[in-house]
Amino acid sequence: MNLRFVTRKVLAALATLAFVICFNFFLFRVVEGDPVANLFRGKNLTLEQRLELRKQFGLDGSQSEQFVRYLEQTVQLNFGRSYTTNRPVMSDIWERAWPTIALVGVSTLLSTVFGVMIGIVAAWRRRSKADYGWTGFTMATYAMPDFWLGMLLLVTFAVTLGWFPVGGITDTGSDATGLAKLVDQAHHMFLPALTLTLAYLGEYALVMRSSLLETMREDYLTLARAKGLRDVVVRNRHAVPNALLPVVTLIAINFGFVLSGAIAVEAIYSWPGLGLLTYDALRGPDLPMLQGLFLVFSAAVIFMNLVADLLYSYLDPRVRTE
Amino acid sequence: MNTWRGVALAPVVLALALMCVATAAAQSDEGKKVVLTVGVTSNSFDTLNPLVGYTALDYDPWINQYDTVTHKAAKDFAVQPGLAESWEASNNGKTYTYKLRKDLKWSDGQPLTAKDVAFTINRARKEAWQNYDAYVHNLTARVIDDRTVEVTSSVPDPKLPSLGDTYILPEHIWGKLSPSKITKYAAEDGVGSGPWTLDEFKHGQYVRMKVNPNYWGGQRPIDEIVYRIFNNADAMVAALDKGEIDAAFNVPSEAFNRVSSTKGIVGIQGNQGGFDEIAINAGSGLKKPHPALLDRRVRVAIAHAIDKKTLLDRVYEGIGTVAYTISPSPDPAWIPEIPPAERFDFDLAKANKILDDAGYKDTNGDGVREMPGGGEPLEFTYYVRSDSEFAPPVAQFVSGWLKKIGIKIDQKFVSSDQLGPVIGKGDYDMFHWAWTPYVDPDQQLSYFQCNQIAKASDPTLYNNDANWCDPVYDKLYNEQKVELDKDKRVAIVHKMLKRFYDTAFYQVFVLSPDLEAYRTDRFKGWLRQPADVGPVIFSNSSPTYANLTPVASTSSGGGGTSTGAIVGVVVVALVALALALWFVRRRRTAEERE
Repeated sequence: MNLRFVTRKVLAALATLAFVICFNFFLFRVVEGDPVANLFRGKNLTLEQRLELRKQFGLDGSQSEQFVRYLEQTVQLNFGRSYTTNRPVMSDIWERAWPTIALVGVSTLLSTVFGVMIGIVAAWRRRSKADYGWTGFTMATYAMPDFWLGMLLLVTFAVTLGWFPVGGITDTGSDATGLAKLVDQAHHMFLPALTLTLAYLGEYALVMRSSLLETMREDYLTLARAKGLRDVVVRNRHAVPNALLPVVTLIAINFGFVLSGAIAVEAIYSWPGLGLLTYDALRGPDLPMLQGLFLVFSAAVIFMNLVADLLYSYLDPRVRTE
Repeated sequence: MNTWRGVALAPVVLALALMCVATAAAQSDEGKKVVLTVGVTSNSFDTLNPLVGYTALDYDPWINQYDTVTHKAAKDFAVQPGLAESWEASNNGKTYTYKLRKDLKWSDGQPLTAKDVAFTINRARKEAWQNYDAYVHNLTARVIDDRTVEVTSSVPDPKLPSLGDTYILPEHIWGKLSPSKITKYAAEDGVGSGPWTLDEFKHGQYVRMKVNPNYWGGQRPIDEIVYRIFNNADAMVAALDKGEIDAAFNVPSEAFNRVSSTKGIVGIQGNQGGFDEIAINAGSGLKKPHPALLDRRVRVAIAHAIDKKTLLDRVYEGIGTVAYTISPSPDPAWIPEIPPAERFDFDLAKANKILDDAGYKDTNGDGVREMPGGGEPLEFTYYVRSDSEFAPPVAQFVSGWLKKIGIKIDQKFVSSDQLGPVIGKGDYDMFHWAWTPYVDPDQQLSYFQCNQIAKASDPTLYNNDANWCDPVYDKLYNEQKVELDKDKRVAIVHKMLKRFYDTAFYQVFVLSPDLEAYRTDRFKGWLRQPADVGPVIFSNSSPTYANLTPVASTSSGGGGTSTGAIVGVVVVALVALALALWFVRRRRTAEERE
């Protein structure tokens, strides 16, 4: 691959990241507020103690002083201490990242695989019963709000039927380790993962379907058929690989959003991931936590976009020669 | 060959298979421990460090882990022996000598002595530990011998001999931490003197505590207490229904009545003195309100135009009680009775008459009164906290009633965090907020002193959110602070609150309880604190836990899944498999169809 092309893309990604770092600081300070007063309202605190807390939280001094301090810290990869958990922001984020990666990662994977398959079937047999059935189904799940679908599944399978726990990632009383723990977690993950898979499915199916339909009009497919190739070979060797291009971009970009998770679904199932952490941090507001989270989310999206760019140029040589 | 599809299918089938096995295996993992599981909603626990944690729920894990020198009675908060079995007063009630129980031990086996008590009190005072300062601010502790500690207050202190929430910490652990480290300490070492100590704290998921075999009151019959954090209150209620949890805190009001009438579940409205008020800017801060609000007659008219009963029934779903004054403590003894003749009861005709008589007339016929002589219209800015469940509907009702007496309300929606600085700057006419007091009334009373109003140098630093300054109130405040005779102190406090009530600056309208529910089929001995009206868990010193005993044949909580689960997952897995097979079949038939 062209070195200049790669360098240009990497530099652009770094510049975006630098912008995000600066932007994050001001984003959460646009509206005037006082986290110390809000978090400690009605507590046995003297005014002196509150001043001291503000100093501890780094909220003393002017905004430009705070900004310089923030930049210095961020450059040293120190994202400060959470106001609420009183622990370093990064250790909280690290701890909560895994449940999110597991949940959203599995769901993205499942929805990608199933979505692409459904898209292929629907497009290849367009205007058949299968097409109408699958397109209708995926349109329906795509249109459903994920929190609503989540509540529905929760009420049906956890509350009424009692097959699954109503929330959490493990049984709180259990000391299980190893495989038993994994098994327990998978049991807890089933409903949230199912919700997200259904919610994401439609996007892939619809994109794949329309992309494949477009490809199917190409002359080279007629040629392939004229060569006497079997239908399935025409589809899998000639149509699908070309139709996959937009889906690949979509997959890469969506994997960038894996970290920022699914706030609504995490909240419904009390899944202790980054989405929930964000939700809780917004209510302080826990400024260092919000800054840390948004930086991580942005970095993930920027990185995956870069991957998508590079991948796309690898898959489609026209992009890099432009 | 279509290898890409085979590769793609593999992880899907694997994931489904794993989940299937998961469900089956999860059933066989029932223990024999007696576990009490308490459900709470999100943002419940910040840190288990009792010096700095600030969420209201932190207190229960602290109480369970760190015993105090004196306890508070479940019935009425009366002082009772804790780590100390007895005490004696001297020096006109400024000095108390506490005798600790024999053979006290920390959960790690180390002896708990007077040194630990003196360490906690003295360091807390010197370093002004956030959550200790209110109790220990004027106290000095001296070790007499291993079991005797002498505590002296530099001023007469009506709180003594109670040492309140001064959680005694193990010096052999906390003594090693420097002043800058101690506030950042995670406090997850699990060493304590209470009936249970911390086993594991999973942020955002649960706090698990295990029984302390060295507890001076004898090992309690509950092996573990688990606080399980839900981010979805409806899921918490469902878990209570299913028996996955034994008690729930902050039950959503819309589910409360249904849960309370479910067999085997008791719902209670736990009153801790928390109240909601509509505050009017009294003008002693950085900015004056609308001039009409400085006229008591206008404020009294507003008070007459607020229908507390309707607010309670329509907005609070009938949960709570109508209130008139600030409740400075969960102990109702501190709340003055306002004689019916002096109450500003709902009466729109009376409100209109008061305004008419005072000269506030609608001279231009637009439905809004003007200042006497036809000046500025009576249009007030009312701040509504958008993150509160109750503030927006309350504002709607109040605006409607005030319109009927010729007052126009301009509602401004802000978050709680944003409202703080607005109040400090005095940039408001009215707002609706709430407080929850401590057991000793001093703290809540202190907020309304003149010196608690924001100053221009830092408008965000204040407690007096009514911007109300009354030297007589301040004088009475200082008197009650050192009055050792409880009856006399109560009389002073009543006088202060009645005085504040009469100004009509702070219109308290409802005592809003904590909604809790617990199951009666697994544990008995639930205690309300204070008696009859208080909550059972997350009460002031939560004596419930140590009083609970399992109902016969209680085993491990949690789980709650049945063999139905296996069937369910197998069905789901079969559907998924069928789906996968269908794809494969489609492929084959597709080939054949060509």
